[in-house]
Amino acid sequence: MSDPILTVDDLAVSYGRVEAVRGVSFRAEQGSLVTLVGANGAGKSSVINAVSGMLRPSGGRIRFEGQDVTRTPAHKLVARGLVQVPEGRQILATLTIDENLWMGAWGRGSGAQRSIDAMYDRFPVLAERRALPAGALSGGEQQMLAIARALVAEPTVMLMDEPSMGLAPKIVDEVFRVIGEIRASGTTVVLVEQNARRALRAADHGYVLQSGEVVHSGPAAELLADERIVQAYLGVESTPDRP
Amino acid sequence: MQQLLNGIFIGSIYALFAIGFTLVFGILDRLNLAHPAVFAASAFVGIELVERGGLSLWAALPLVFVFGGVLGLVIERLAFRPLKNRPDAHFAGLISSIALAGMLIALLQWRYGPDTRRFPPGSFPDTRYDVAGAQVTLVQVVILAISLALMVGLTYMVTRTRLGRGMRAVAENPTAARVLGVNVDRITAATFAISSALGAVAGVLFAINVNTAQLGMGSAIELKGLAVIIVGGMGSLPGALIGGLLLGLAEVFAVQYVGSSWRDVIAFGLLFVILLLRPQGLLGARKVREV
Repeated sequence: MSDPILTVDDLAVSYGRVEAVRGVSFRAEQGSLVTLVGANGAGKSSVINAVSGMLRPSGGRIRFEGQDVTRTPAHKLVARGLVQVPEGRQILATLTIDENLWMGAWGRGSGAQRSIDAMYDRFPVLAERRALPAGALSGGEQQMLAIARALVAEPTVMLMDEPSMGLAPKIVDEVFRVIGEIRASGTTVVLVEQNARRALRAADHGYVLQSGEVVHSGPAAELLADERIVQAYLGVESTPDRP
Repeated sequence: MQQLLNGIFIGSIYALFAIGFTLVFGILDRLNLAHPAVFAASAFVGIELVERGGLSLWAALPLVFVFGGVLGLVIERLAFRPLKNRPDAHFAGLISSIALAGMLIALLQWRYGPDTRRFPPGSFPDTRYDVAGAQVTLVQVVILAISLALMVGLTYMVTRTRLGRGMRAVAENPTAARVLGVNVDRITAATFAISSALGAVAGVLFAINVNTAQLGMGSAIELKGLAVIIVGGMGSLPGALIGGLLLGLAEVFAVQYVGSSWRDVIAFGLLFVILLLRPQGLLGARKVREV
């Protein structure tokens, strides 16, 4: 088997004296979908932001396509194909939808127009409103724009931070359908989700984080089948009878 | 008519100065108080280029534009970048840019002495035109044309080009811009360079207009520039244009009809009235900063 496209070893992230991530290791094989799940505050977003270069890790090593990128700034990683769909979507509300997509193509030379056209074909709702400020879109549409904008950068690895957050169940289905398509197209996906069951069902491999550490890992199907893990970390399937 | 034209000429210089000022504020949320020192330094450099370099007025202008741009990069590097991660970066930048401005003015004084400097005789073509009974010189027409062209060019750059798109992205949300692969430091430096280049040209045009460069010219325009961008709406480029023209007209008419000692009272009084009626400024957005 070839080397993983992304390898994270013993990653540590601190905010002042608070250690948010304490020695997390994971790997993503080329073309796979890996998910990091865990409760709010488990350190999932910190891991993602360290990998994408948005945060400087306090320890550990990150390798992308065989090269050490632990201290590589975000803008260089994007140009190399390690692209993040950030938490909370981070749509540029005062820019038009078209301009948002062009921002996704920031580090690209020629060919950007073709990628953007392809996104309009794929997400007709964006095409219809391309000249409007992106702030005019609904939450679900903004998530689609955030994903489309990241795809314009032609990622080889896409880091997705809570893409289903705050969306209605029907839209969440849509988001996961698109994630499945991205993965099917050969792009490696690292997905961080609070919606752990949903993420594990979509993933090949899962890592369960708690208090900044990996407490379980394995093939996603096995994690889902393990009653103790489900009980302890993933909560109850349907939410209504939860306090 | 004469007064109207004079007001427009001086107002266009105020507007050019203020647009550079407001550009940095609108995009980076920083007030660069070294901007007036760039204005003054460029006037002296412009005169030097004509006097010693033997250049024509119009050949000196592009060089001053470049000089301003380089000065902008220096200001960003020295007064802003080292402080950018401080929690009080706004205030810290404000103070450090005042300090840098003081140093620039001191350097000017060392190099040129305290006296007023003028362009060498014969620098100005004496072509004059008659416009509806008013006298207009070629120099004035060129001043207006250059100011307007630079402002139109800047607006085009901000709204239509890749760099402008990056600037607006940084203005709205630097974190999002970074996630998308924008090198925010580079955009920041470019913004300072463009802003200072415009301020530099404004300085030379001002010196040409009155054939005078003085050490105090920066501090004289500083308050006007701040007033103009507040009245125009902080961060708004068209607002700075309208505000600059308004101030120029108000000054000229105040001198003409009330008396020169009333100039500042009337001009700034008018700006106060506008702010009372429209606290967010003429073209200011209430919430979202616009560029």
